[in-house]
Amino acid sequence: MASPKIMVIGAGVMGQGLAEAIATEGTEVMLLDKTTRLAEKGIKGISESMDREIEKWGLTESDKKAIMARIIPSSDLSMADETEIIIEAIPEKLELKRDLFEKLDTICKSDCLIISNTGTISVSELAEVTERPEKIIGMHFLNPVTKIPLVEIIKGLKTDDETFKKAVAFASILGKEYITVNEYPGYVTTRIIVPLLNEAMHVLMEGVASAEDIDRAMKLGFGFNVGPLTLADTMGLDVVMSWMQNLLNELSEHKYNPCPLLRKMVRAGHLGVKTGSGFFRYDEEGNKIKDNDKKVSQ
Amino acid sequence: MNILVLNCGSSSIKYQLINTDSEVALAKGMVARIGMSASVLTHKPHDRDQTVISAEILDHIQATEQVINILLSDKYGVIKDRSEIHAIGHRVVHGGEKFTDSVLITSDLMKELRELIELAPLHNPHNIRGINACSKTLPGVPQVAVFDTSVHHKIPDYAYIYGIPYVLYKRYGIRRYGFHGMSHRYVSVRAAKMIGRPLEELKIITCHLGNGASITAFDGGVSIDTSMGFTPLEGLLMGTRTGDMDPAIILHIMAREELTLHEANTLLNKHSGLLGISGVSSDMKEVTSAAVDGHSNAQLAFNTYCYRIRKYIGSYTAALKGLDAVVFTGGVGENSIPVRSATCAGFEYLGMAIDADKNDAVDGKECDISTDDSRVKILVVPTNEELVIARDTKRIVEESA
Repeated sequence: MASPKIMVIGAGVMGQGLAEAIATEGTEVMLLDKTTRLAEKGIKGISESMDREIEKWGLTESDKKAIMARIIPSSDLSMADETEIIIEAIPEKLELKRDLFEKLDTICKSDCLIISNTGTISVSELAEVTERPEKIIGMHFLNPVTKIPLVEIIKGLKTDDETFKKAVAFASILGKEYITVNEYPGYVTTRIIVPLLNEAMHVLMEGVASAEDIDRAMKLGFGFNVGPLTLADTMGLDVVMSWMQNLLNELSEHKYNPCPLLRKMVRAGHLGVKTGSGFFRYDEEGNKIKDNDKKVSQ
Repeated sequence: MNILVLNCGSSSIKYQLINTDSEVALAKGMVARIGMSASVLTHKPHDRDQTVISAEILDHIQATEQVINILLSDKYGVIKDRSEIHAIGHRVVHGGEKFTDSVLITSDLMKELRELIELAPLHNPHNIRGINACSKTLPGVPQVAVFDTSVHHKIPDYAYIYGIPYVLYKRYGIRRYGFHGMSHRYVSVRAAKMIGRPLEELKIITCHLGNGASITAFDGGVSIDTSMGFTPLEGLLMGTRTGDMDPAIILHIMAREELTLHEANTLLNKHSGLLGISGVSSDMKEVTSAAVDGHSNAQLAFNTYCYRIRKYIGSYTAALKGLDAVVFTGGVGENSIPVRSATCAGFEYLGMAIDADKNDAVDGKECDISTDDSRVKILVVPTNEELVIARDTKRIVEESA
């Protein structure tokens, strides 16, 4: 059997979402992580996410079976040599990503499209560690990837037009609309949402209103689908904090300084949905526990 | 004339090579799992055993190439040369208001077909992909599009319009189109032959009961109403589709369960119908046997299914102002004794009575299952949509030659 033409590196929440989105469109995809165990954990995560979607009537068992059959777990980075599109979704840490790009540069075919799914890290800086900076591009998908119809396509300083066109074609295969972003820290979505989340945390910390009321206010008042604190919980509070720190490092602006409450919660390991507690509490399936909507820390 | 009949889906292509003189399918088969490294080609020549081949088939071009190769192959083939494929007939789901008959495919026509994608986003893009693939693999061979909708193009305006602001019809083409056209047309013509009277003087109701199901009223061979509407969701209860329902229900459910458009769409099309009510299966055979075993929701699903058909037979009798025959076709219509029996019971006041023994004895062939003195005939006719496509393709190619 030939190996898939598309590879997703990093089997965390974003990597799972990307693999699911790609497989849902009918294409085979390899989901890779450092160990087979991690990759298979990613597969399990995708399976659970699809089960939730079946419960919400969005999918059928036979759809799920067909989609799962298209996702192949792996821990062997050397498989990237035959791949045509690689998208990485490893943790948002510059050293980790640089290290990966250096390796990919030695393994991948010269015409391979190498994409970083980053919200805050500089594509140009990643491109610089390779011998082919013009072939490197950023595509910032949002979580949950299968549901959010948007992707930001980020051109690094040296990204060429052909690479950009390939990225646009990839976005269209996935049925996503794209916006073009010139490289600048935080791009559009992260840059705008992060201060909003941070401000909501300040409002909570200062005792202005309860977590639930803050979210209700933004939902009912401004038509948000989810409130900012629920959104932060969904994204992962550690992730939100790392975005803020990246923005703060790059732009040195006070407004990107993580709210002390956020720092405290991350230190305590209250990271949101994935740990069962953040600004709200969640059961094992990630559903909010209704009777206990009050914040758990502070 | 040998016609290659194709029905192209997102990841599958069904094909038949039909000789229009003998009206025999020389070979039939299907390519499944297109886009995967382990695609499957199932092929059955008319006079030999079925064979299954696994190969990497990444797109519709490779798939049509594989189909042609196997039609030509020494071992499984039925023709010796590509030139023995004289024309290609494509099933195209939606012809909109524009296409009232099958048409020869030209580059101008492709533009118009692409414009119809908005009306049938799930089907037409794949049909178009199949046409493009054939232009590459069989260049110069004439191709014809045969539409599911075109048989219904004479439905009068009062039957196709919905009770919503008229401007939405003008703006988005929202009206009843109807589907399963090839099947309804084929069985209505066969029915007239079986009755031995001209189609032009008959009032016939055709029930296509497959995984999708629809029912059509033919007055003198013209479809004057059909149960599927703007999409195939309307009308009869189906394997996994709701059929008729109060549209406010979906708004209510979307609000209560916080569903997205996609989730609501999947709920109505894939989680409903026989499967949704019974919780057992979308397959009528399994639902029926569960009902026999005392599964109450399976019985409920069965009852709802048959009741819905009965209501349509009643209302279409009123629309037709009379009735000469009811025809059953499609997987369920051709094979389910209990569905035909439950559906046709109690219509004696209309002059229609089913003969239980004849109904039990149906064996995959055309037959009359009404009692000898039943004024309205009840017929079972195995459908043959591919033959309709082949015949139309031949006619259009000859007309345009």
